[in-house]
Amino acid sequence: MTATSPTLKSNLSIVLASARMRLATISRYPGQLLMDIFIPIVFAAMPILLGRATAGPDAGENFAQNTGTSNYVAYMLIGSAAFTIVTYAFWHIAYWLRWEQETGTLEALYLSPTHRVWVAGGTALYSCLRSLFSASAAFLIGSKILGVNPFEGGVGLAFLFILSGLIPIYGLALLFGALVIKVKEANALINLMQWGVSFLMGIFFPIAMFPPLLRAIALLFPPTWMTNGVRSALLGLTYFFQEWYLDLAVLWAFALIAPLLGYWVFTRAETSIRRNEGVGQF
Amino acid sequence: MTGTVRVENLSKTYQVRQRKGLFKSFRSTVEALKGVTLEVRPGEIFGLLGPNGAGKTTLIKILTTLLLPSSGEAWVNGFHVQRQENQVRASVGCMLMGERGLYWKLTGRENLEYFGALYHLSPQDRRQRALEILERIQLGEIADRTVETYSSGQKMKLAFGKALINDAPLLVLDEPTNTLDVPSASELRAVVRDLHAQGKTIIYTTHIMSEAETLCDRVAIIDHGQLLALGSIEELKDSLRRDQVTRIEGVIPSRAVAAVKRLPTVQQATRTSADSGDLLTIVTSDGHEFLPQIIEALTQTGATIKKIAPEEVTLEDVFIAKTGRTLAEDTRER
Repeated sequence: MTATSPTLKSNLSIVLASARMRLATISRYPGQLLMDIFIPIVFAAMPILLGRATAGPDAGENFAQNTGTSNYVAYMLIGSAAFTIVTYAFWHIAYWLRWEQETGTLEALYLSPTHRVWVAGGTALYSCLRSLFSASAAFLIGSKILGVNPFEGGVGLAFLFILSGLIPIYGLALLFGALVIKVKEANALINLMQWGVSFLMGIFFPIAMFPPLLRAIALLFPPTWMTNGVRSALLGLTYFFQEWYLDLAVLWAFALIAPLLGYWVFTRAETSIRRNEGVGQF
Repeated sequence: MTGTVRVENLSKTYQVRQRKGLFKSFRSTVEALKGVTLEVRPGEIFGLLGPNGAGKTTLIKILTTLLLPSSGEAWVNGFHVQRQENQVRASVGCMLMGERGLYWKLTGRENLEYFGALYHLSPQDRRQRALEILERIQLGEIADRTVETYSSGQKMKLAFGKALINDAPLLVLDEPTNTLDVPSASELRAVVRDLHAQGKTIIYTTHIMSEAETLCDRVAIIDHGQLLALGSIEELKDSLRRDQVTRIEGVIPSRAVAAVKRLPTVQQATRTSADSGDLLTIVTSDGHEFLPQIIEALTQTGATIKKIAPEEVTLEDVFIAKTGRTLAEDTRER
């Protein structure tokens, strides 16, 4: 038998092979990659143009009263780019599982001596690369089109917030994936989730505008902290805990909890499915 | 423990949702396996025969860790299917879903290399192994085309090649010649024989009786979740005496079949289509002494007999005697 026992190196090799496989697949749909860049710009352009239409020349001043910045264009572009990262995480993990379930390759994965979490890691790596590329390109191109400077503020710190936010977001995406393989449905769940996520993480408005209960719920959600951290770093706004490192520490706490929670729920869903009809039924 | 595969009193029940119309549904329990016990010996080709819904896929899925049994135990290559899942997976090469288990947007080579990674092969080993397999299954020329451009037979060959990626001592092949044309099926069977000659143990399911008869060392017949027969082809054939099987060709209506079935020594009577009309295969417990009564029952119920032939027992006859129907018969509505 040439198959060897799993080692950390061979498991990391699976992560890379899985990411490479998905990149190879998407490279066969070049139009999709182009669309990835323009969708966040169009998404942000709608409220920006609505703001200009309704508030006229005073839009910036009105916006500053609630958010602390008059640069509502950058504010919404950042929100839209952050939303791209979050929604891609959910889309890619959920769609990966659903697609493999429908095409029959999910059973093939379960036949191999590889824990699905490593394949999920590869999917997450692919998703990160694709979403970071799309979000960055959309932010840069969108800033150029809408006439704002994309490089003001702490770009490095903003990037640190994004990197710290990715881990808990993919942990939650794995949890969401458990739901997808259990109920055997992705599209309706993702559509529903997208509206909830975009609302809770405050992509176009500060969550300070929420009533207290909703604000508390939003603060339990890691993307809210990531988006606020990126915005605060780039636009000089106040952090939830006033200091950047305290907000970052909250994201790191989420980074410890969310993947473990996602892993636990996912493995329980797997066991439940294998106890009943198996992963092959879709 | 001597068997490559050992199954002890394995049972599997699960819940299915039955649909009625658009919105109504109710849950029911399916007993897919009922206390199956068997052993697959090292180095043999073990045929698993049964109509659709008989329980053979459930058994294979438990042995390959895709499903958890409700009760009973099983070992594969000495590893327990529930307690040592990863060792079981590493020691089995599977072809279960045919062409559905492949990534159609990847090339044949990319598919094999990716599955090699999942079996923890180093990048160099997986490239080498993919090359060897592509050569063996004669897909080398189209290895760098995406699978979506392959014919159905080529996809089946690649799915078979995928089962070889980890060079496992046990191969589980679920209907591997499905959708293959005659020459390709013959080539694939030659590869299976070659792998068998190298000492691999092979579990082989098929709907083609002649394939099972020529390829398998021993077969198990499963129906309604139960093991009905197990042994070598010759042992199973010997279990029916030569003169116990009679074939009658002609025009045989359903009531005639029912009349024959009511005769006390008739064990099974199964009607299939033949070139000249119907073919009735009758298994009796007392040889041909009862033949006049069978003929009488048929003629009195409107049957027209064209030919009566006592024939040598085939594996198909064994299957009919054990299950009451032919393997080709669709039993999904059971």
